[in-house]
Amino acid sequence: MSTDESPFEPATPDAPGSIADGRSRPLDPRLIAVQRLARAVFTAVAAFGTLPFVVIVILSAPGGLPGWAPVAFWSAGVGLLVWWAWAWPPVAYRYRSYSVDATSIEIRRGVVFRRIIHVPRSRVQHTDVSQGPIERSYELGTLVIYTAGTDFARIQLDGLAHATALRIRDHLLPDSGPDAV
Amino acid sequence: MPSEQHLHPASILFGLIAQLREFGIPLVFALVAGSRGGLEAIAPLALTLYTLVAVLRYYYYRYRFEEHELVVKHGFFVRNERHIPFARIQNLDAIQNVLHRLLGVVDVRVDTGSGAETDARLSVVTWDAYREMRERVFAGRRTAPATAAEGETDPAAPAELDTPRVLLALPTRELAIHGVIENRGGIVIAGLIGLLWEAGVTERVINRVAGDDVVESGRIRDAIGELWVGGVTLERLGLVVAAIAGVLILIRLLSVVLAIIRLHGFRVSRAGEDLRAEYGLITRVSATIPLRRIQTLTVTDGILHRLFDRVTIRVDTAGGSGPDGGERRRESLAPVIAGTRSEALIREVLPELDLSALAWQAPAEGALTRELRRRLITSAVVAGLAALAIGWYALSLFGLLVAWHSVAAGRTVAHLGWAVVDGAVLFRSGWLRRHLTIARYTRVQSVELVESPFDRRWAMARVSVDTAGAGAASHRVAIPYLTRPAAVALHASLSAAAARTAFHW
Repeated sequence: MSTDESPFEPATPDAPGSIADGRSRPLDPRLIAVQRLARAVFTAVAAFGTLPFVVIVILSAPGGLPGWAPVAFWSAGVGLLVWWAWAWPPVAYRYRSYSVDATSIEIRRGVVFRRIIHVPRSRVQHTDVSQGPIERSYELGTLVIYTAGTDFARIQLDGLAHATALRIRDHLLPDSGPDAV
Repeated sequence: MPSEQHLHPASILFGLIAQLREFGIPLVFALVAGSRGGLEAIAPLALTLYTLVAVLRYYYYRYRFEEHELVVKHGFFVRNERHIPFARIQNLDAIQNVLHRLLGVVDVRVDTGSGAETDARLSVVTWDAYREMRERVFAGRRTAPATAAEGETDPAAPAELDTPRVLLALPTRELAIHGVIENRGGIVIAGLIGLLWEAGVTERVINRVAGDDVVESGRIRDAIGELWVGGVTLERLGLVVAAIAGVLILIRLLSVVLAIIRLHGFRVSRAGEDLRAEYGLITRVSATIPLRRIQTLTVTDGILHRLFDRVTIRVDTAGGSGPDGGERRRESLAPVIAGTRSEALIREVLPELDLSALAWQAPAEGALTRELRRRLITSAVVAGLAALAIGWYALSLFGLLVAWHSVAAGRTVAHLGWAVVDGAVLFRSGWLRRHLTIARYTRVQSVELVESPFDRRWAMARVSVDTAGAGAASHRVAIPYLTRPAAVALHASLSAAAARTAFHW
């Protein structure tokens, strides 16, 4: 087995100047807070939504099942969700970065399956910049890139400062000129 | 000023038929199978309604040719006007079934690659109207400025434009070979059984054969029972084997007949920068594929292909396939072609590529171990589940699987390979059924490098390219088992090569 360095190195912190300098940039750290918040809401809804069922199961159990079993099961599930909501975002954050250069954008992500997606600027059909309610309060935005491809017809890059997302969008927009036939 | 045109009046008839097919046949089915009262009264009413809808649809469906676009207007309550620039049209297909041919009309489908749906369907217009349309759609392209990017062919000489050159014509003999190789008969029979099952016929047949309900009338069951009364003899075993073989041969024969009917007179010709495919005995299909629209090209050969020394070549064009690809999936460029002639055809379709000296790269060392391990683990799981389900003797299955996969893993890895030429990347895979796909840089939409946990243990990675128009069943360029440095280098070079070129629809 080779001991070569993984291509997934930590990214250099944000630098001033043009966005299209080919440097690997981390996402905005506020992404962690946004994700934690969004997932906390999900976890709370899931936890309290399933609570009545736990009560029903305990009450209707014909005695064969000890009363603590459903509670343990529920707690384990909620524990997993809490871990996913609180501990996972910073881990995932470390493995995410992007870089933009004159001709293309490259996005890295994934902890278990690590991937690098490279999209040439000339293949970008159109782009979206969107902001959810939580993102809005943290001034973050999501850049969505559409290509004519099949598996990666829609590539999403969230966790960008909204201004940065707009800058990248402006950069990716094709130079004006007639669309080639 | 361009004038609006109606479809052919026969459109009313075809509209009605299409509606009947959608709603009417289930209705008839319900009448026959269910024979419930009341439906008889609904049928004439429904028919009147359908006719009215078809007439209205015909009346409000108009199209016209602008200088650079096709405009289709339709709708009664909700008026709709669709503009389709000629330059965006990916495929222009004309389909003629028996009725179309009797009436001298065609069903025209316009595809721009916007998704699964056909963008405009002119059902039906006269043959002359289709010709005019083809002229207009592709004429604009000829006079268009030569925006040929790198890797793009030069516009052909004008003289060549109007005289189509036949690239491939399949005589009946070839179609028969195709039938044997493709074996569609099985699918048809399965479909037929399904239909009969719906109608409740199968149940009766099974009763007749197996005699579940009426004990005395299970004739075939009795015959089979008699067979076993005297115990298993060599003679009887032979009879059973012969019967199975007979059925299989019959299915192949059916496939041959189907292939000949479906692809009768198959011809691919090149007219200027377009490919034209024409085929069909009963339903005539005439498809136009602009060469520039070709996204990827795949050469496939299975065991039977190799037996006859043939290959199948198909091209993916954007819009040619979608989620509902099954029925609408386009015919292969070459359903069957002699292995030696395939190179010439590929050269014709992808003229800018020089595929004479391919340097195939093998997967990384350790690929065989990984492939074998993956297959053995899957086998163990399958055998374990089977053992739980049907008993411990199912573990003998594991022995068989191990033997099979020991061979298969080696052969698969041996055939796995990728190559880079000036302007394209090639990927081949498979063992019994082999695929070779060519993706030109100009058609690469994005390049991906993936490292799975297993890859990480072996310091390997997978590199794949995404192209437009890849169907669910398409063979894609996804190169596994690359060493990490090789993967990074390949990813970088493919990305750079794609970024250097411009993408033209």
